[in-house]
Amino acid sequence: MTIRHVSEVEFGVELPVFEPDTSLDNVRRFVRAAHWDGPRFTDHDAARKEGLPGALVPGIMSQGFLAAMIHRWAPDALIENVDTVFRAPVIVDEAYRIAGVVTDIDAAAGRVEIDLTVTNEKGETRVFGTATVRLPA
Amino acid sequence: MTKSLDIDALRERFLMKDFDEQVFEFSAAELVDYASSCGELAPRYTDPAHPEFQAPPTFATCLRPGRRLPEGFPNLPGLGMDAGKAVAPKAPILPGVPLTARSHLHDIYAKTGRSGRMTFLVTRMEIYDPAGTLLANADTRIVIREKPEA
Amino acid sequence: MILDLHAHSIKSDDGRAKVQNYCQWIRTRNIPIDGFVLTEHRQFDNESDYGELGREYGLTILKGSEVETEYGHVLVFGVTPALQAEFDFANIRLPLRQVIEACERHGAVPVPCHPGRPRVGMHAHLAEHGVPEGVRIVETLNGGSRDEEDSIAQAMASQYGYRGIGGSDAHIVSHIGRCATRFPHAIHNEQELVAALRAGEFEAVTFRT
Repeated sequence: MTIRHVSEVEFGVELPVFEPDTSLDNVRRFVRAAHWDGPRFTDHDAARKEGLPGALVPGIMSQGFLAAMIHRWAPDALIENVDTVFRAPVIVDEAYRIAGVVTDIDAAAGRVEIDLTVTNEKGETRVFGTATVRLPA
Repeated sequence: MTKSLDIDALRERFLMKDFDEQVFEFSAAELVDYASSCGELAPRYTDPAHPEFQAPPTFATCLRPGRRLPEGFPNLPGLGMDAGKAVAPKAPILPGVPLTARSHLHDIYAKTGRSGRMTFLVTRMEIYDPAGTLLANADTRIVIREKPEA
Repeated sequence: MILDLHAHSIKSDDGRAKVQNYCQWIRTRNIPIDGFVLTEHRQFDNESDYGELGREYGLTILKGSEVETEYGHVLVFGVTPALQAEFDFANIRLPLRQVIEACERHGAVPVPCHPGRPRVGMHAHLAEHGVPEGVRIVETLNGGSRDEEDSIAQAMASQYGYRGIGGSDAHIVSHIGRCATRFPHAIHNEQELVAALRAGEFEAVTFRT
């Protein structure tokens, strides 16, 4: 269901989950656009030499996934704040789940708070955070 | 050195004072790639022909200061960890518009114990357009777990 | 009665959840717990009184703490002013022995949490520091555990005869109640929680899906 107005939002509702493209090609495209190009994001072997489990999906890309999830749910949502905590690495070429749930609604102000998580296939939380979004009355 | 580090003095000396300024500019193609690779579908982020075309709302967090900490800031001994990032967009970031990003330490605080301490540094980058309009705030939180005294 | 014994609110540096939203979430989503304990990092919240909020939602909301020792993180239940005078909760390298002894003197219960987690869990420090004396309970189910962390915790508990509790380690609203602890009787306050933990009649339960 696409959300257009704050009155359509219910406490506890889950936003539609999406599985982001964490392929090396897509991450390369992202880091070039962000001016973050570097082997720890684009080269598994180079990342492992740094002691990492593999090439990393940058934390800022995970933030981008989370914002994209919000817009897929509510295309007109105005994101006022996204606050994320990076708990564990998100690895290129691995499968993740981008999820969100509504945890607070201020109908008068048109504001909604959303819990955000990036979890791996084992259900482990790699990134969590919250977003505040504004929706038309 | 760890014991002599005075958080109040650090706050007095460094807080709310710009220590870095960078100018960035991004093309429409870069903004599209940024948004599309993150899975954005909304045309205002993916279609340069859209009348409200702009960078996606978390974009400001990709801007990096030239230096992480102010000149003269003491070297805190310990393990620095990225404790998170927050972004608060205020106005659209547009392609081809020079972005001036000024950084300051927004907060410094410590959780102090008798034998160790964690120091939290919150760096805020404020992004402005050429007219001086604030476009976004992007906060980076670093926590430094100080090493035990030798 | 089922209590989530490990949760953080916005009072913790990395907590993003308001306590009222935890309550709303539990009731709206029918999370099968009867309450939770706020165990804020490196502090005890002396200011907040959640009694009215708890009555409004029919939930037991208690307060504890999560302190840091050379063996990793330790939950403390039954915090009193006298216990707070015994050691500095903000100290990130508290000697575990000091915490345990202070808890014994002041009627509190220390519980090493996520003990199977690298760096911040007790198991990772056994080789260096040895098996600590005085530990009776550890957290064997933690809602934030990754990989084999809970299995390591459970194996360690089995090896050394520790009882196990469960807690969500929630930092955001939607994670409350992922793991919890089942008690045979109702618990209304911190003293009753301490008594129940000392009686050893409890079991860790998980509601992770």
